[in-house]
Amino acid sequence: MMLIAGTVPIKDIPLILGEARDEGDHLLIKGQHVPCTQGTSAMVRAALKTTDYLKLEAPQVLLVGDTGEGKGSRDLYDYLIKNVAELSPEVLALHYWMPDMALTRQLCAAVEKCIRRPVMIADAGSMYSAKAAGLATAFDIFTPDAAEIAFLADPDATHPAYIRFMVNTDGGNTPELIKTAYEHKNAAGLLLVKGAIDYIVKAGNIIDTVTEPDVPALEAVGGTGDTITGLVSAFVYAGLEPHEAAIIAARANRMAGRFAEATPATRVGQVIARFPEVFKKYLCEWSGVCATGGVEYD
Amino acid sequence: MAFLKRKKAAFEGGGLVLVSEVHEAMLAEKILKKAGYQVRLVAPPPELRRGCDLAVEINLVEKPGIERILSQNDVAYVEVMPLKVGAPEILEIVRVTDFGDWVMVKAANMKLTFEKKSGVIVNTSGGGCPDIPHLHAGLIDRPLGEAPRPRDTGYTLCALMLDRALEEGLALYNGGERP
Repeated sequence: MMLIAGTVPIKDIPLILGEARDEGDHLLIKGQHVPCTQGTSAMVRAALKTTDYLKLEAPQVLLVGDTGEGKGSRDLYDYLIKNVAELSPEVLALHYWMPDMALTRQLCAAVEKCIRRPVMIADAGSMYSAKAAGLATAFDIFTPDAAEIAFLADPDATHPAYIRFMVNTDGGNTPELIKTAYEHKNAAGLLLVKGAIDYIVKAGNIIDTVTEPDVPALEAVGGTGDTITGLVSAFVYAGLEPHEAAIIAARANRMAGRFAEATPATRVGQVIARFPEVFKKYLCEWSGVCATGGVEYD
Repeated sequence: MAFLKRKKAAFEGGGLVLVSEVHEAMLAEKILKKAGYQVRLVAPPPELRRGCDLAVEINLVEKPGIERILSQNDVAYVEVMPLKVGAPEILEIVRVTDFGDWVMVKAANMKLTFEKKSGVIVNTSGGGCPDIPHLHAGLIDRPLGEAPRPRDTGYTLCALMLDRALEEGLALYNGGERP
């Protein structure tokens, strides 16, 4: 099972766990309608497009409403801490929530009780809390952008608003920041650093970069970082190695942006809608992951 | 019979509300707890002391929401700052990317993009706190000058950075003059 957990910006949505269905402009989960905008819902929808295409079991999603007061986030942490061992997902992808160091610490301890340790993926608030709590190395994949890699590199920062390192506008100092993040043990086993150049980093070494197609406008489109995390999670669930999943996710996201002819005014839903077309055209060529389901092995 | 006491979860907030007087720290703690925030009274490190030797530890990420609650309740606080001695200051630098018909303004991890001609916000991106998707929905398609300010409606440091980006966007749209 792949489990995606995060908050959604509808205050009244209670904690729900179930299979999500893509209804176009919203997700349907246990009778609750969740609009597909920036954030966890964009991530879920990208993962769903991938699992649908690959004919894999759809992700289970654990969502709760939280518009910033933090209560929903705390309910989410509590549920996961109490139930993650029983759920024992193969992939656990954590996304938007109120960063909380103590609760993240408890969650990581609870994950240790899983029958088989899940592949641990974090982005957004869950990545912030993992780093701030000094638990980055307990995770397998982080997907930071240029400002967030500066945050990971700063040993004292507990949020990207408090960073000492400057971020070059062209991302020119990203390799240096990656090195520093690993030196301070503030990075996951694999990083996909999103930017004009996407860096795929394994255990501190940049093993690949993705630069094509070049669609600079995607940086402005809210949710296109979230979709990358959804793609990575689903490709890992499909059986790819984390670095392979990261490379293909970066390529697919860019290509979907090109297919959507993205401008800075494009909505993330327009990009997500193009994933099936991208997969159909490129996925076998890029990965050996084909529409008949799962990974093709020699 | 021995009573079993449930062990309280530890709290690691990473931020401090510094005050001048002990009673203000106690009042701040009471008001914040009533508002649903997880907080605790602590002794600030000597290097960070501004007034009395009591402070309120908070989740630093919730700084904007906490400052708003304290101000609304007339609690006089000196500063809200990171707990760690020598921690960096909040990032003030804002960067701008010209996309032709649109301008993107970046403040730390947050980005806001508006159309040059109309001043209408067309996108926000970045961030990871739970108020950000909510603020995103409230900002899109609004003219910069009529958009709700994230500092007033958000709760987190991500919201504060989004507000910085909005403020800079307004200044650019108004020909370099700050609102």
